[in-house]
Amino acid sequence: MRLLLVDPDPARAALVAEGLAGIDPLDLHRTPSLNEADLLRIMPDLVIIACDSPDRDTLESLREATQNNPRPVVMFVDRSEPGRAEEAVRAGVAAYIIDGLQPSRVRTILEVAMSRFQLMQQLRSDLAKAQSDLASRKTVERAKGVLMKERQIGEEEAYAMLRKLAMNTGRPIAAVATDLLSFHGVLKGDKP
Amino acid sequence: MTFSLDLGFVALTDAAPLIVAKERGLFAKEGVDVSLHREVSWATIRDKVAAGLFQGAHVLAPLAIAARLGVGSDPVNLIAPMSLNSHGAAIGVSAELAAEMDGDDAKSLVRAVAKRLGRGDPPVTFATVFPYSMHTYMLRYWIASAGLDPDRDIHIVTAPPTAVFERLKSGSIDGFCVGAPWGAVCEEQCGARIVLEAGEFWPGGPDKVLGISETWAAKEPEAMLAVLRGLLRAALWADAPEHAGELAGMLSATNYLAAPAELVAKRLVKDDKGLRFSRQAASFPWRSQAAWIFSQMLRWGQVDRGVDAKLALECYRPDLFHTAASDVGLSGPLADSKVEGEHEIAWALPGSRGPIPMSRDLFFDRTRFDPDSLKAYAAGFAITRLTE
Repeated sequence: MRLLLVDPDPARAALVAEGLAGIDPLDLHRTPSLNEADLLRIMPDLVIIACDSPDRDTLESLREATQNNPRPVVMFVDRSEPGRAEEAVRAGVAAYIIDGLQPSRVRTILEVAMSRFQLMQQLRSDLAKAQSDLASRKTVERAKGVLMKERQIGEEEAYAMLRKLAMNTGRPIAAVATDLLSFHGVLKGDKP
Repeated sequence: MTFSLDLGFVALTDAAPLIVAKERGLFAKEGVDVSLHREVSWATIRDKVAAGLFQGAHVLAPLAIAARLGVGSDPVNLIAPMSLNSHGAAIGVSAELAAEMDGDDAKSLVRAVAKRLGRGDPPVTFATVFPYSMHTYMLRYWIASAGLDPDRDIHIVTAPPTAVFERLKSGSIDGFCVGAPWGAVCEEQCGARIVLEAGEFWPGGPDKVLGISETWAAKEPEAMLAVLRGLLRAALWADAPEHAGELAGMLSATNYLAAPAELVAKRLVKDDKGLRFSRQAASFPWRSQAAWIFSQMLRWGQVDRGVDAKLALECYRPDLFHTAASDVGLSGPLADSKVEGEHEIAWALPGSRGPIPMSRDLFFDRTRFDPDSLKAYAAGFAITRLTE
């Protein structure tokens, strides 16, 4: 089976391609963007496309066979279980097949693609969380430093003070630290 | 209680009611907390509403109807309780094609097509934004009006609004029909020539609607009406001439249209061709306009002749519009349907709170559309796939 993967995100495309490598026999082609000429040249049986690719609507328009489009496509909707179609939308992936292709084979491929899209989402959100955790840790460190200097106290005491402030106001410690730094700045003469 | 919901949009000037309602706190004032999500594909907008990820979206009016009919996808329970705009779309051609056309009318296009054919060049290629869009119907109507068959004599491809400019620059298309501000962007940055604007093709004609999941609307009718009220107020604000500058600036932001403000402003002028959001009943979901859209689906063979027009008309929900409009104090048309293209000059429409000033609505070829005889209308064109 000839598969064309359209994904503007190269890292995600690589992840999907790696997942599909185990499926045999599969002739996999990858492109960040799609045009009619590519389709005619590659003649894929199946197209897996990211929902954030603007070329999706180009595929949608190829439902009718014309002189320029000898092989009409249809969107593949997995009806094997309720909720499967929604899951694909949530994962951000859509599949288009040449009319008449066996659904069972497509289903396996789409499942792999979906799980890889979800994995990428997970990795990205983990990364974002790690970055924001790191940033808040730095803020807390700086606020601690201010307290230590201004109040002439030790590190542990400064941290306990921040924690108490956070608990009293019911806010995250990083938020309290941010406020403390900005108020400190204002008192020192910074423009708010 | 604040209700949270998600609405989708595509980077186009006619998403203004959603963006204004969000930015000016008009949704918040109605007690709804709306998150707006920019998408790059109409198919993805449709699928996200179908899957319940969005409760509603900025949608091409014909796509809302097609989705409801199950044309081009599994049937989606979409309703359109309000129109978002009239005008904004434009047909344009590349500088090269303009030189070969030697005029702005469709007859000039025939000469250019003939020249290319004579030289054995590839066919003239136009891009439109989606198979089910006013852009497709306007482009096909215009091409066919000169006796060209849009499926045989011309090549039509689909490209999202934001990609039309790139395709024109690379030379892979010779012309386009696209919504604002992208027509002006092609004109300004690529030397394209605008040959027909939606406001000339059909003054006061439909374009985008608010597409809402019917399932959600039935479950949360109050939240749905709150969204409608916020959007109706936003449309009124967006139409006020004194807000045009601020509106252009707001829309041009990178998280919305990411387009130059002065090019967005170009189609916000209050002349015959400028975008309308509220004035002249532009927010009203005219069933006669849904009927016209259905007539074009029949004309181009997108729907089977046996499909009941009633199913298409049911997508438009003037009843919901009236409920929200009366809360806002807006005058709503007393009729749900009208004969389209009948007025050569400005006229007054009877409304729930006094007459509504209306503009001329003559189609560019001076035909008239009576929704009660839509099949005869669709079959009556010289070039049509519908035979009586």
